[in-house]
Amino acid sequence: MTASILDVAHVGKSFPGVRALADVSLTVAPGEVVALVGENGAGKSTLLKILSGDYRLDEGTVSLGGAEVSHASPLEARRAGFRLVRQEPEIVPDISAAENVFVGEYPRRSLGRVDHGAMREAMAAQLRRYGFKGLVDPDQAGRSLSPAQTHIVEIVSALKPGVKVVAFDEPTSSLTSDEVERLFQLIRQLKAEGLGIIYVSHRLKEVLAISDRVVVLKDGRVTGNLVTARTSEDEIVRYMVGRELVHDFRREETTRPEVVLEVSHLSSRWHRDVSFSIRAGEILGFGGLVGAGRTELAKVLFGEYPRAGGTVRLLGRERDIRSPSDAIAADIGFAPENRKAEGLILVRSVIENASMAVYRRLSRWGVLSDRRMVEKVAPVIRALDVKTPSMEQEVGKLSGGNQQKVVLSRWLAAGPRLLILDEPTRAVDVGAKAEIYRLIDRLARDGMAIMLISSEMPELLALSDRIVVMSGGRLSPVIEKKDATEEIVVSYALGKGMAA
Amino acid sequence: MSVAEARDNRARKGAGQRALEAVGAENLSLLIALALLVALIASQSDAFFSSRNMLNIAQNMAVTGLVAVGMTMVIVSAGLDISAGAIAGVAGVVCALLVTQAGTLVGGVAGGLAMGALLGLVNASIINYLRVNPVVATLATLSAFRGVAFLIAPEGKPVGVLDPTFALLGSGRLFQFGGFPGLPIAFLIMAVAAVVGHFIMSQTVFGRSIYSMGGNPAAARLAGIDLNRMRLAIYTIAGALSGLAGVILVARTSSGQPQAGTGLELEAITSVFLGGALLAGGKGTVAGTMLAVLLLAVLSNGMNLLGIQTFYQLVAKGLLLVVAVAIGQWRMVRAERRQARLTAAGQG
Repeated sequence: MTASILDVAHVGKSFPGVRALADVSLTVAPGEVVALVGENGAGKSTLLKILSGDYRLDEGTVSLGGAEVSHASPLEARRAGFRLVRQEPEIVPDISAAENVFVGEYPRRSLGRVDHGAMREAMAAQLRRYGFKGLVDPDQAGRSLSPAQTHIVEIVSALKPGVKVVAFDEPTSSLTSDEVERLFQLIRQLKAEGLGIIYVSHRLKEVLAISDRVVVLKDGRVTGNLVTARTSEDEIVRYMVGRELVHDFRREETTRPEVVLEVSHLSSRWHRDVSFSIRAGEILGFGGLVGAGRTELAKVLFGEYPRAGGTVRLLGRERDIRSPSDAIAADIGFAPENRKAEGLILVRSVIENASMAVYRRLSRWGVLSDRRMVEKVAPVIRALDVKTPSMEQEVGKLSGGNQQKVVLSRWLAAGPRLLILDEPTRAVDVGAKAEIYRLIDRLARDGMAIMLISSEMPELLALSDRIVVMSGGRLSPVIEKKDATEEIVVSYALGKGMAA
Repeated sequence: MSVAEARDNRARKGAGQRALEAVGAENLSLLIALALLVALIASQSDAFFSSRNMLNIAQNMAVTGLVAVGMTMVIVSAGLDISAGAIAGVAGVVCALLVTQAGTLVGGVAGGLAMGALLGLVNASIINYLRVNPVVATLATLSAFRGVAFLIAPEGKPVGVLDPTFALLGSGRLFQFGGFPGLPIAFLIMAVAAVVGHFIMSQTVFGRSIYSMGGNPAAARLAGIDLNRMRLAIYTIAGALSGLAGVILVARTSSGQPQAGTGLELEAITSVFLGGALLAGGKGTVAGTMLAVLLLAVLSNGMNLLGIQTFYQLVAKGLLLVVAVAIGQWRMVRAERRQARLTAAGQG
């Protein structure tokens, strides 16, 4: 093996409540593709952010091309030759694609003027060189870029002269299979040019197809350093979870005859003619691609976004829900996808966060009783086994899985008839995930109607009694559990077989 | 650690630790600062501990204290009310006019309060329905309300109020017996407002919802809290308290002066931040704020006793606001670092 171009040695990093990385070492040789895998929260993103200079490491060293860059700023890390292709690139909407590529590094003319011509040329040359010719116009406005084009802009902006190591963070999460193949060709080209590549992905089939070596992270530590040619998906998974994977969570169907939610011909800014119903004890899964309008549907039903037409009935009664408080009064609960931005008050305590939606019920004449709060809400928190030093602990200091449990305990305390769960296990570790599955199963068993939005196929297939797929604001026909396969969900998600 | 274990741990805590929890760690440092300040001023001036001076301090903090109670609610909700002093000015003139022209004392007090509440409602409406950021909205109304105060005062001149009964509100005392000089009525009014305010913030659905909306408005809305309605209520209460402060200023100075209350907002805002509130909202207590109000009153009294010029005092007050906010930010960063260190040591 040639001398490594990137050398990470004994790196450690901690955050409040989380030991994100401990004694992490890995090397990348020129022309080598090293895959970095691990469950959510294993430390992959933290490591990438240390390499890109966004985070400061607490311990250890990082060298790039022989020079130490342990404490580099983002700019220094770039200059040293490390580039990150982010999963969700931030595009400035009001400037052109070319300007987005060169943000922070605009080519200049005299008197500090930006050289727009040079920028356009340089970008066009890059597009030609890496096989993206004709896919993005350098003059196109940032806001008009599609997700795939955004990704191309991000890649092109990473591949500037002087780059030595490129890290791809979940590069295929929003790509079609043709686009994935094109990405792989690009990676092979970069390999041939002698760049070091870090490839972070959940998709083990892709990892096996493109990488030379697989480094497995678990709970912030390196648990496996495997040669791709001599390993298998099963072996990688074993290193990832440190135990046999709880395969195929199965649940009994507990659907009862009573219809809890009936949506007819609902339309909104995002939706056209959406109809479905959920019965008591039933879990209706919502599949689809990111951006298909599932989260928006949840928010329309919850009164956060306006509904333009159609009717919503709860327990047979037509309801005009215009605000989240209307929705709560109608016995609906909603655990949003982005718990930090929309679910939790991070600076407030566990018990406050869990009680928020039921303050009224815990009060008399508007006065809250602490005693009743502890009596009613603390048992719920305890039943979910939230790991917290005390009920008064600030929620922001808990781990992701425990934060999610606090959000869920809020709705458990409220005891709604319909619970909308938007990506309930996003950024939650494997152990907590299994617990959350069991919890959802129990809620359905107890007669709650559950609307489950999930982009994780195994989760969707295992938990749902029936599945509908959203694509472009429309809903597919209902897929019964016995017919539900990954292929059907994906084909509906891509818009096949949908009514025009 | 599980919740059950945590509970056992709590029960095992010593009395000292529990006493500290009751006061709050932030408030403890305020108490220490207050004690140091008192010791310093008393060592330099014999007049400090005289009953006249004590009464003076109590009376001076009454006006700031009233405004600060409302300001605590506003800042915890992640808002700001820069117009508080101007509201006091308008309310004062309205009150003075009602007392002198209509001859009604009760009407004067009620009118001042109502005017304050109305102007608070105006602030909230601008923020809610015109979607103007609270700082800009109340900066605008600071100017506008002050103008209104001058416009409604006949010829823009102070309205003299020579009613001895009304003056009691400003300088009267209750509970005088033996050697005890009693407590100023204005101070008692503030104390009642503070106690009620503390109760509202800590024990009611409304108060707890203020913390939720300040900590994360998006999450609060999704938990069923109507942010617009909350804001209407919060700014109206804050306005009414500023109005009451304006009424007391009239009683103290025996006149409704259009420029009364200038700079009141700065003192109130400083107190709230010094009392432990976060700039970003979601944190802060009325108790902490009131301790800070006391600290500020003692500080400004001490500077007067030591003969420090008013202009220096203005500079000092400005610096104090920066220090108060900086302490809050520093505390937050420090808490995060400590947490990270604990985690690294494997205790997280």
